[in-house]
Amino acid sequence: MTPAAPHLRVLVVEDETLIRWSIAETLAHEGHTVLEATNARSAVETLSDTSEPVDVVLLDYRLPDSNDLQLLANVRRLTPGSAVVMMTAYGTPEVTKGALDLGAYRVVNKPFDMHALESLVLEAHGSRSPRAN
Amino acid sequence: MQSLDPQHRATQVLAALIDSAVDGIIVIDARGRIETFNPAAERLFGYRQEDVAGRNVTMLMPSPYRDEHDRYLWRYLQAGNAKIIGIGREVTGLRRDGTVFPIHLSVGEMTVGGERKFTGIVHDLSARVQLENRLRSSEERWRSIIESAVDGIVVIDAQGRIEALNPAAERLFGHTESEVLGRNVTVLMPFPYREEHDQYLARYLSTGEARIIGIGREVTGVHRDGTTFPVHLAVGEMTVGGERKFTGILHDLSARVRMEEQLREQAALVRLGEMAAVIAHEIKNPLAGIRGAVQVIGDRLQSGSREVAVIGEIVNRIDTLNGLIQDLLLFARPPQPKPALVDVAPLVATTVDLLRADPALKEIRVEMEGASPPVLADPELLKIVFQNLLVNSAQAMAAAGGPGRIRVSIAAIHDSCDVAFSDDGPGIPAEIREKIFTPFFTTKARGTGLGLPTAKRLVEANRGTIRIDCPSGGGTTVTVQLPLAVAQAAGAGWSSS
Repeated sequence: MTPAAPHLRVLVVEDETLIRWSIAETLAHEGHTVLEATNARSAVETLSDTSEPVDVVLLDYRLPDSNDLQLLANVRRLTPGSAVVMMTAYGTPEVTKGALDLGAYRVVNKPFDMHALESLVLEAHGSRSPRAN
Repeated sequence: MQSLDPQHRATQVLAALIDSAVDGIIVIDARGRIETFNPAAERLFGYRQEDVAGRNVTMLMPSPYRDEHDRYLWRYLQAGNAKIIGIGREVTGLRRDGTVFPIHLSVGEMTVGGERKFTGIVHDLSARVQLENRLRSSEERWRSIIESAVDGIVVIDAQGRIEALNPAAERLFGHTESEVLGRNVTVLMPFPYREEHDQYLARYLSTGEARIIGIGREVTGVHRDGTTFPVHLAVGEMTVGGERKFTGILHDLSARVRMEEQLREQAALVRLGEMAAVIAHEIKNPLAGIRGAVQVIGDRLQSGSREVAVIGEIVNRIDTLNGLIQDLLLFARPPQPKPALVDVAPLVATTVDLLRADPALKEIRVEMEGASPPVLADPELLKIVFQNLLVNSAQAMAAAGGPGRIRVSIAAIHDSCDVAFSDDGPGIPAEIREKIFTPFFTTKARGTGLGLPTAKRLVEANRGTIRIDCPSGGGTTVTVQLPLAVAQAAGAGWSSS
């Protein structure tokens, strides 16, 4: 018997409304809780509230107030227990390598398939919490 | 008061004449003994009259003339065989100090008091010979300068006829000097300059209106094989023996023009790369939003409905657009190669297998032959190159009506590996063969025209070259030449020997 998929708290940091909406709809449909941030500042604010930890962060590389790996480094420091999936519309090999070195679970290129999103989020979460196995 | 008789006076005049003569005057008797040695002769030979009087004149000659003189004189007196008497010619004199010098010697014969005597008039040629030597060496110098010049030099007369063509010009134009001597210089010019040249020359000669003479500018030359090339031409004018002539100095600009083109092309590619990065982000980000939202909406529709099919089509179109942007990025901003030792044959085989996964290319027959030591290149980039070339060949053959066959020949030649992709498609018409590597040039109804340009860029990024041939037997052969790993190691000084 397959264990029931966990219900996760997922933070989507993305300024493109349609992407944010699609992700939120897709994950909420599967029973996950989705928090949304449209820029780096609000992402950090959300993660600083430690009362309810975030399991997975879907993080856009390029945001109105962030265009480097500094935000990823901050996220990793704020919530080391959260898995991070980086999203980028134009990722150079250097950016990809830098993100993975900072502990991102994966770097996905936009556009990506919404139908593959939930399994990606579960995989990422699984990589951070051994107990899930 | 002078009261000399005419006879005595004449003797005095003669004596003065001999003493004041610029040329040396030497009188000898029939046995060769010196009787008279005038001051000019003293200056020439460095002896005084009293040093030489009564001595054999051979003392003034170097060997071997010295040894022959007595015999000459004797033979002349016996048989009248004149080698020099009454004639005069250039001989060599010997000075007291042992140095030799060129002289012109004319010998006359006279009889005085019943004795035969010979008068030699000696004209010093040192200065003339020196001048001649100087001229000769100067001419040699000029000749060697012209012969060894890197720039082409062409001399024409006032009618435009070629009078001289140096070796550099021979190489430049592919003609030998003898082939074009006397021909109109327009034979070295392509249309339309050829037609205008006679007029230019005529106008210059009649009005002095110079278009190029004394100025120099970039023109186009034509090689014997018909190809044209850029050349800087500087024309000077000279008058030789009263005739006007023109000297053209031609500096080949092919390499410079090629380099300028390459620099321009590189600058354009850099700009394109920057542009592509911006465009990629600005297009891919909204595309991602559209694709995601459309998928979410599609999931809410009744499965199997017409709308769901439309959603699928929308997603397909978005993926095609995204692929186009990816292709553009790959061409405009190819990744930095990560060189590794690559075995070419297995890499081609892997690429072929990958392609067969594409239903449109399932039918292609690929035959491989040959082998090569490893090359030093980025395997991922090479895979893209091979894939582009195989797809191109397959599509060309499919357009011609059949799946066809691609032959991949791998061979190590000198220090490089040649990978030749030959198809039996329709070939490429000569007029578009040059444009085949130009980005966005395509003959297909649908296609970005980036496949071959990208292949070329990636091959060049891996220090290789790519060329296209259309053999007369039909089909097209694209050859990728990559440096062998060992050759690169040796070139970089890593050779262990």
